[in-house]
Amino acid sequence: MSGSANPSLPLGNGMASHRHRLGARGVLELVGIYAALVLVLLETIYPLLWVLFGSLKTKQEMLSNIWGPPSSLVFQNYVDAWRIAGMGSRIVSSVFVTGSALIILVAVATPCAYALARLRFPGRGLVLAVAVAAMLVPPQVMAIPLFMVARDLGLINNRLGIAFVYAATSLPLSVFILRSFFVTLPADLEDAARVDGASRLAILIHIMLPLIRPGVALILIFGFIEIWNDFFLAFLLLRDPSVQTIPLGLVSFFQQYDSLWTLYFAALTITTLPVIVVFIAMQRQFIAGLTAGAVKG
Amino acid sequence: MSTRPQETAPSASRFGRFVSGDGAVAFVMILPAAILFCLFYLWPFVNGFWLSLHNWDGFSDPTWAGFSNYQRLAHDRIFLGALRNNLIFVVAVVVLKNVLGLGLALLLDRALVGRTFFRAAAFIPVTMSFVAVGLLWSWIYNPVFGLLNGALDLFGLGALKQSWLGDANIALYSIIVVDVWKWLGFHAVIYLAGLQTIPSELYESAKMDGAGPVQRFWHVTLPMMMPIVFINTILGLSGAFVRNFDIVYVLTKGGPNHATEVVLTYMMSKAFQDGAMSYAAAIGYVLFLIVGLASVGLLALMRRQKLDV
Repeated sequence: MSGSANPSLPLGNGMASHRHRLGARGVLELVGIYAALVLVLLETIYPLLWVLFGSLKTKQEMLSNIWGPPSSLVFQNYVDAWRIAGMGSRIVSSVFVTGSALIILVAVATPCAYALARLRFPGRGLVLAVAVAAMLVPPQVMAIPLFMVARDLGLINNRLGIAFVYAATSLPLSVFILRSFFVTLPADLEDAARVDGASRLAILIHIMLPLIRPGVALILIFGFIEIWNDFFLAFLLLRDPSVQTIPLGLVSFFQQYDSLWTLYFAALTITTLPVIVVFIAMQRQFIAGLTAGAVKG
Repeated sequence: MSTRPQETAPSASRFGRFVSGDGAVAFVMILPAAILFCLFYLWPFVNGFWLSLHNWDGFSDPTWAGFSNYQRLAHDRIFLGALRNNLIFVVAVVVLKNVLGLGLALLLDRALVGRTFFRAAAFIPVTMSFVAVGLLWSWIYNPVFGLLNGALDLFGLGALKQSWLGDANIALYSIIVVDVWKWLGFHAVIYLAGLQTIPSELYESAKMDGAGPVQRFWHVTLPMMMPIVFINTILGLSGAFVRNFDIVYVLTKGGPNHATEVVLTYMMSKAFQDGAMSYAAAIGYVLFLIVGLASVGLLALMRRQKLDV
């Protein structure tokens, strides 16, 4: 702001801010803005609509009518895709792996974050420093030794095993986020309970946990997107088709049957649509959660 | 913190004080996290370095190799090419996500009606898996009946049609576009949250000083947004180095002729196609060093700019 702040200006006087004054130029500007936004909308949504349309067409119509909506609805595509891609067992695997990983993550990260935020003990600074340093080491770079460790522990093709690995890879960031939520809670709450003789664990579960629910929601959202969508670690550790998750199933379906376009679009819709619907239903919490960590104030 | 009232008289030894204070409770609370972390984070990290100093196929006895794996890497043309592709990928996606993300956020910030709707629409690709995004785009890029070439035909631009993933000269850039498409909404939403914290008085006073929209952007918006630019750069940077395996694997598997090979795809093919486990571990370590240096450098820069975020 080079030299534009004149101290004699009555700041905050013109409360009708620049956003609300509309002249002829303003209208033109708005038209431009909305035109650009519609372009963005087309570029994000149309490809998805295209997949949805394609999933309901016959194979012949895919070639004759590339752009538009289907002339008839071929729901058989979904039935076939579900059966050929083994969708049922993939969904079970994905739900089991993601659910277990998130339960382990919250159960393990919460007490750790609480201890780092509220207890005084020797070595606290060290534990915190390790958590921060670990955030700089993305788990992908140690995929090979991780594979070795999992193999030695008999965790290859083991869905509970990969759930532990996922929980471990999300651990540093989660501890860090939860700790920052615990730090902001007032000390009086806890002191009162301790005078009444409540144990630390009881305080954590009955008093603190309800208060940091937004923090837990935040790590669950982060964790869900990350684990549900993950291909890399699953590719590394789940080699047997009978235990594979949705992303692995999609890729192998695509590689085996890449001429069955309509089925393939149906499979893509089955796996993508539920997540989008969940997102649209709770997008306020979703976006508030994601931006809360990044932007203060 | 005071000690617990119901404890017995504090013992004089260090251990006694540790147990009677918060130490024991803290130990129990941290233990599960520590076990999980040591097993699947710390141990692989240490073991990976040990592995990279040996020659091992994963089954027979490992033999000591010193730094020979690293020396071989320095002369491995495919690896150096993958490193170069990886750096191009990182720089391109970080710059594009920031510039386009800020642009989109400025548009969303001005939209009076339907802001929530447009914001949600822009965010949808973020919720999709890389695999779904990759498979979708492999259809968009399909040279025969893909959406992109079809659109070019539709607008009379048929001369620009390409084999988007098959041409070694443009395949990497085609992949970069996909990554930016997936993450744009995420960065735009963070920029939007930042824009909404700028007090409107700053714009008012700049306006009274006769600053036009472009000047207001350069002298008010951009300086106020610098912390957010750093956040977006850090988020984009660490992701761009290590989150490109899925998308490259789905779209091109590193081809044609290694033109889109990135460090992780090369590491995985060395490990699981050639069985060169220790060589692959060394590749992982080199990638770690690069990501670590880039992150530490960026954090140091932030600290010097007094951007405490």
